[in-house]
Amino acid sequence: MSKTDKIMLSDAALEDIFAAGRASPPAPSEALMARVLADADEVIAARSQATDRPAELARRSLWARVVSGLGGWPAVAGMVTATIAGVWIGFASPDQLNTLAGGLLLPGSDGAASYELEDILPAGSGLSVLFEEG
Amino acid sequence: MGPGGGDPPGPAPVAAAPKAGYPGDAMDMAFDAGSEVSDEALLVAFGNGDREAAMLLTARLTPRVMGFAARMLHGDRSEAEDVTQEAMLRLWKIAPEWRQGEAKVTTWLYRVTANLCTDRLRKRRNVGIDAIPEPEDDRPGVAAELMARTRAEALQAALDALPERQRIAVTLRHLEGRSNPEIAEVLGISVEAVESLTARGKRALAASLGQRREELGYVED
Repeated sequence: MSKTDKIMLSDAALEDIFAAGRASPPAPSEALMARVLADADEVIAARSQATDRPAELARRSLWARVVSGLGGWPAVAGMVTATIAGVWIGFASPDQLNTLAGGLLLPGSDGAASYELEDILPAGSGLSVLFEEG
Repeated sequence: MGPGGGDPPGPAPVAAAPKAGYPGDAMDMAFDAGSEVSDEALLVAFGNGDREAAMLLTARLTPRVMGFAARMLHGDRSEAEDVTQEAMLRLWKIAPEWRQGEAKVTTWLYRVTANLCTDRLRKRRNVGIDAIPEPEDDRPGVAAELMARTRAEALQAALDALPERQRIAVTLRHLEGRSNPEIAEVLGISVEAVESLTARGKRALAASLGQRREELGYVED
C-alpha cells in the first residue's frame, strides 16, 4: 500500500488536472449547433402539422356526414329549392297559386265556386259527422 | 419570452472559459447573462412551439451534452456529436409532455446521454483503442498552453481507463460540476453510492496520473 501511495498524485495536483480538463471542454462545432436547431425546427413543424390536420379532417367529415345523411348533394339542392319556394309562397301568397290549384286553397277569394272540405273528400268518410259533433 | 429573449450568440470560444469554473457555467454566462428563465420553463415554451426557446436551450445545453459525451466516448468528437444530436432530438420530442417541477432538464439529458454512450461503447468494444482518432487540435503554443493540453489529454486517457460508472460519476462531479444528488438521479443510485463511486474513481485517477507526474509537471520530493 505504501508503495502505491508513492506514485499517487496529490489531491491538489489532481484538482489542478481537473481544472485543466474543465478549461478545455470538448466544445460542439457550429455545424452541430445548426443541426440541433434544425431538428428543433423540424419537430415544431411536424407538431403543428399534426395538430392542424385533425381539426381540418373533423370539419370536412362533419360536412360530409351531414350531406350524405340527407342523401347527397342533389337531395340538399332539392331541399333548398323547396325551402325557398315555401318561404316565397308564405310571404307572397300569390293569387295564381290559388288559380293553379283550382280555387281549392283560398275558397271564395275570386268569386268562383267554393268547396267545402267534404266536397273533395270521398263520400261516406264520416267527416261531416265529426264536424257536426265538433 | 423572458429577459433572455433575442438572438443568442454563437458558441463561446473554448479559450474564454475560466480555468477554475465549470464549462456549463461559462456557457450560461456567455449565452444568456441576465436570463432567469429556467431550462424547464424554456422546454415547456418550446413544447408550445416557441422557437426562441429552442435557440436558448440549444445554446445552453448542447455544449454540456457534448462535453459529457466526448469524455464518455474516449474523446471521440465525431461520435460525441452524433450522440449529442440524438440526445437533443429526444429532448425536443419529449417537450410537450414535460411537466415543470418533475425533473431537471439537465439531469434527464445527462441520463439519456449516459445511456446512449453506454450503447455506443458496448457496440464498439471489439474495436481496438488505436481506431479512436487523436484529438484534432495540435497547433503549437507556449509552454504553459502545451502543459495544460498535455494534462487535459492525460486526464482523458486516465478517465478512459475507469469503469464506466466511475467515469460518469467523476466526469459529472469534477468536470461538469454537478451535485451528488443530481448524479445519483442520473445513475439511479443513492447519494452514498455516488460518493463511493467518485472516491474510487479519483483514487484510480490519482494512481494512473501519478505514474506520469513528471511529464505532467508535478515533481514531488
